[in-house]
Amino acid sequence: MKILGRNKLITPVIIQTLKTHPLIIALIAFVVMFSVLIPARFLTPLNFSSILRLFVTYTLFALGPTIVVVIGSLDLSYVGIWMLGGVLLWLLMPILGMLSILVYPLLGLATGLLIGVIQVKAKIPSFILTLSLLVTFAGLAAWLAGGVPRPVREYEFITAPLIPRLPTAFLWSIPIIIAAVFMMKRTRIGTYLYAIGSNEEGAGLAGINVDKYKILAFTLSGLFTGIGLIVLFQHLGGSAPVELKLGNLVWPLAAIVLGGTPLVGGSGGPQRTILGALTLAVATQGLYLMILLPEVVALLLGLLLVAAIVIGTRGLKGVTIT
Amino acid sequence: MVTPMDASLLEVKGVSKTFDGVVRALDDVSIAVRQNEIVGVVGENGAGKSTLMKILVGVYSPDKGELYYRGGKVPFPKNPKEAAERGISIVYQEKGVIPSLEVYQFLLLGHEDKYVKFSRLQIDKMKKHAREILEELHVKCDVENFMYELPLSTQKMVEIARAILSVRLEHGDEDITSIIILDEPTAPLTIEGRRELFSDILDMKKNASFIFVSHIIPEVMEFTDRVHVLRDGKLVANYDLSKEKITEEDLFRAIVGRESSEYIYKPEDKRVVSEEVVLTVKNLTKNGCYYDISFDLHKGECIGIFGPAGSGKSEIIKTIAGLISFEGGNLIIRGQKVKADELPHFRLGRGIGYFSGEIGKELFLNWPITKNISIVNMEKILRKPIPVISFNTERKMAERIVKRLRIRAPSVNTDCYSLSGGSKQKVSVGKWLERNPDILLLEDPTIGIDVGAREDIYETALEMKKSGISMVLVSDDPKEYSMLCDKIMFIKDGRIQKVLSPEEFGEVMAA
Repeated sequence: MKILGRNKLITPVIIQTLKTHPLIIALIAFVVMFSVLIPARFLTPLNFSSILRLFVTYTLFALGPTIVVVIGSLDLSYVGIWMLGGVLLWLLMPILGMLSILVYPLLGLATGLLIGVIQVKAKIPSFILTLSLLVTFAGLAAWLAGGVPRPVREYEFITAPLIPRLPTAFLWSIPIIIAAVFMMKRTRIGTYLYAIGSNEEGAGLAGINVDKYKILAFTLSGLFTGIGLIVLFQHLGGSAPVELKLGNLVWPLAAIVLGGTPLVGGSGGPQRTILGALTLAVATQGLYLMILLPEVVALLLGLLLVAAIVIGTRGLKGVTIT
Repeated sequence: MVTPMDASLLEVKGVSKTFDGVVRALDDVSIAVRQNEIVGVVGENGAGKSTLMKILVGVYSPDKGELYYRGGKVPFPKNPKEAAERGISIVYQEKGVIPSLEVYQFLLLGHEDKYVKFSRLQIDKMKKHAREILEELHVKCDVENFMYELPLSTQKMVEIARAILSVRLEHGDEDITSIIILDEPTAPLTIEGRRELFSDILDMKKNASFIFVSHIIPEVMEFTDRVHVLRDGKLVANYDLSKEKITEEDLFRAIVGRESSEYIYKPEDKRVVSEEVVLTVKNLTKNGCYYDISFDLHKGECIGIFGPAGSGKSEIIKTIAGLISFEGGNLIIRGQKVKADELPHFRLGRGIGYFSGEIGKELFLNWPITKNISIVNMEKILRKPIPVISFNTERKMAERIVKRLRIRAPSVNTDCYSLSGGSKQKVSVGKWLERNPDILLLEDPTIGIDVGAREDIYETALEMKKSGISMVLVSDDPKEYSMLCDKIMFIKDGRIQKVLSPEEFGEVMAA
């Protein structure tokens, strides 16, 4: 009897969740599709851990910028922070030793604050501003590094295996994800950022210091990127690249949009970004395992994104993006 | 073809329009426009003015009705191009101008094909033609200016010229009399801008006929030849201003359609206002909007700023809210002088809440009711000592408001965009019930909502007043002033004309 009663409660919850997160259906569809098409390659523990590794990369890069997308702006500086921070880390290693990894959160914080202040005071579109900063950081990184990647070996313990087949970076990313979701959903800061993205004038009338919270959004974005990079630095090979690659920039953004945080702001958030990152990781890894040409994989992922954005902007009937 | 002066150029007969089979927007309405005259179409918001105009320019098609052009029956236009063929064009209230174009480019936009020679545009010919048209219509500006360089009233004139031109070109006839619909053309203009625009339009009268859509009574009285009054989708009155003697009050009563007894103040509501002053406005001035405004607002008092639309009342209340800045004078809130360009969130910190009936102005439409209410009451829903939002407290707070204001919604988690206009307004006003600001500014608090919801909002406002909240009211509905206010300032052209008690206000309105 009791179980029956509970079932009655659970079914509408599942339906409601699927209605508000149609991406879950796509995710299940991908898993089923690849499991049927290439079971021998897709349904392996090795592949499972590869997907998680990819998921960690997308998620930790995308969490910070998601906060900025919620207020209706864009922050592309994350790749720049990764590159410049990596070189600074290499430069500081002989002086500060193990502490030098803290250059990432500090650089992220400073960059975010800088972007926020310039954006609010000069009213420059955040896309242009952060893109310029990204290119500046990339150039600076390449110059400081003398044009070659500089590996740092001291942090290998961060990704040292703890549980077999489970990437350690994934374990590290869990508290960061929880912190981001919690902040956006359960605190005053998060609520105010959603308010600014939803209706800026209304936010001002509701007593929110719009400029201050905009600066805070960029600062938090930089900080989350910086904290994530403590894990990502080693996760991505223990040395920062000196060459700016389009993929590094695009896929985290794609995870945000795919997850269902609209670029106009006001809804969505980190909890959606992790779903987007997971779907993107499964799709990428699955297509890769089908032994398609890399160009074809890129083409198919591009089409997937276009479809996701069209659905996301036009809105499925009965779907509210939360 | 010469049309005699008295015959109608355009006539609409018995037009009805229903939306979704339920809402009756127009019911058997007939209006006429004669050669070279300005016809006013007036009514409150929701009276059906816009629907009628949209039918004339082919945006909507009517359910019933006939259209006569120069005495002959013609079908209703299906799109703006067909409307232009029947001589009708419209100048919308806003967003009609493309600021980055030069005047001649904007004027001839969409007609470039007439100036192409060997697949290139003949710029000189375009400029020459534009100059001729503007000269003919008495629009004083250089065709090489950018649109954004012109004053707002001149921009409006260029838009009107463009409307006349499009009718001519569509007709292929230089001498055709255009019928230009002006949809509340003065809304974005200052007092001075309005005067200029109207003297220019009067100059144009010999080139065109105008349908002037407005709810600003003095303007209609001054500039139109005849007036059609719409109320609740019906034509309730026609006045020929050149023949009949009509006062502003007559026109007003026809528009609102209420018995004057409603404006008589009910003495049993009278109460003593506290001596404590919460807000002092001293010689407040913003050029082009309002001048030398002074008053004291006491604790638990409601002051109404009454006047025609465009009199500056809306700008004054927005200035107090911090939405626009002032240029001269002082604003003293609870004994503290405030800066002219202080933003709204500082004003709320000083205890001033602002409520507007304009949909979506302060509401977060993609948010559920709960969040819309808790946004100004964060202190109440944060747990202690760690400031984490308690969803439970948030929900209970929203449920209290929903119950008290009788908001009709499936649940407190319903997103606000799916609510009815009245419910949206109640959510907006409800959040202040929990916040209890010192001063609440009400701007058009019941605009566009049904009677039942209105009564609920009035009741709430009166309760808040009783609890010691001071209020400033700006509205288009005189009834609201006599219901809510302790003092009414009558304002015209940006200046306070007189200060009335509710009794006097009721007498003036009844007279």
